[in-house]
Amino acid sequence: MSTTRNTIRWTSVLPLAGLGLAAALLLAAVNEGTAERIERERDARVMRELARALPPERHDNDLTRDWVDERLDELGTVARVYRARLGGQPSALLVDLTTPRGYSGNIRLLVAMEPDGRVLRVDVLQHRETPGLGDQIERGRSGWLNQFAGRRAGLDDNERWAVNKRGGDFDGLSNATITVQAVIEAVDAASRWARQAPEALWVRPSPDEATPP
Amino acid sequence: MNPARRQLWRQGLWEANPGLVQLLGLCPLLAVTTSAVNGLGLGIATLLVLAMTNLAVSLLRHQFRPEIRIPAFVIIIATLVTLIDLLMQAWLHELSVRLGIFIPLIVTNCTILARAEAFASRQPPSRALEDGLAQGLGFALILIVLGGVRELLGQGTLMAGADLLLGSWAAGLSLRLMPESWGFLLALLPPGAFITLGLLLALHQAIVQRQKQHPASLTATEKFQETDA
Repeated sequence: MSTTRNTIRWTSVLPLAGLGLAAALLLAAVNEGTAERIERERDARVMRELARALPPERHDNDLTRDWVDERLDELGTVARVYRARLGGQPSALLVDLTTPRGYSGNIRLLVAMEPDGRVLRVDVLQHRETPGLGDQIERGRSGWLNQFAGRRAGLDDNERWAVNKRGGDFDGLSNATITVQAVIEAVDAASRWARQAPEALWVRPSPDEATPP
Repeated sequence: MNPARRQLWRQGLWEANPGLVQLLGLCPLLAVTTSAVNGLGLGIATLLVLAMTNLAVSLLRHQFRPEIRIPAFVIIIATLVTLIDLLMQAWLHELSVRLGIFIPLIVTNCTILARAEAFASRQPPSRALEDGLAQGLGFALILIVLGGVRELLGQGTLMAGADLLLGSWAAGLSLRLMPESWGFLLALLPPGAFITLGLLLALHQAIVQRQKQHPASLTATEKFQETDA
């Protein structure tokens, strides 16, 4: 007895297996009961973000059901592209992209553009930039994001997509050059991609289920 | 309230407070408390997990042999945390997005396993539940105080975003006590979490020390008064 004290007897494992089974059943039931609502909430959040970026009169399709995932090679990330249509015609592109080049990790942006890549509006959806410095990119804290509207990346506009501290045409924010440069580069990449996007982008089928990132 | 129960609450809220004395679960404590609302949200979630775990562990305490007790507790804790995570995603969606990974990470909060093992597995359900509530409330209070202090120093507000947690009626709870430009940024950054917690620990210690000396000085005064009379 004293030497085999530490070996586990099978009879003692049975309650553990029973507990595991009960836990699995409980979680399966709750998951079943909440899955639909969680999906609705996620869709609603994405809808709110999209509605803020693009006025409702710019589209008549359900954006949460009309999207494709696109690889942006410049950033090395996959962006979700929502296709806004009006009367069946291309109206705008909303690109939900994440740049890893922020000062403290990822910055998630939503870039609304004309189909030709001219920027309508940029929103910051998520970031972890320094409070008081990098977080001034938020629309609630400064108007910095507004300078993107109306610009289009590419040679014909003769604009340099960089902060003016680095010889570009964009205003910066003091002590937040890395943050600012990351956002500028990300919007630049999105705008360039949209300019060169093939017509076929608009006819590619959406995946059936909209599962926001 | 009988003395044994009063002792439970005194332990949880003050004498053996998980955040102030046991110093358990510091990772979420320091990471999430950039605002009072974040602290309150994580505090309520942790409180629920603690109380439910203690209750479940106590109810099942005779079913499990000592060898498999810890794995059984881990299953119970993981199940309850997943349950709460799912329910929050469904009904408190904005808040669960804000608290993000820290809800699932309640699993790793050692306060919960510590209470299950050290207390709930040896006590009847009612006492175990009460201990879970007391310890959870103690932890939640520290989260709220730490979040409140950092929020106030860092951005000059208190309970900003309360509507995300409590519904739209709570928007009126948000206070702005000073302009944002006066904010002391350090308070919101990770070092600020350590410094603020350190100050709270020091305050707690100071009060405990005073209480230890206080009864002595009180009796001394009383004696003095008695002799004087």
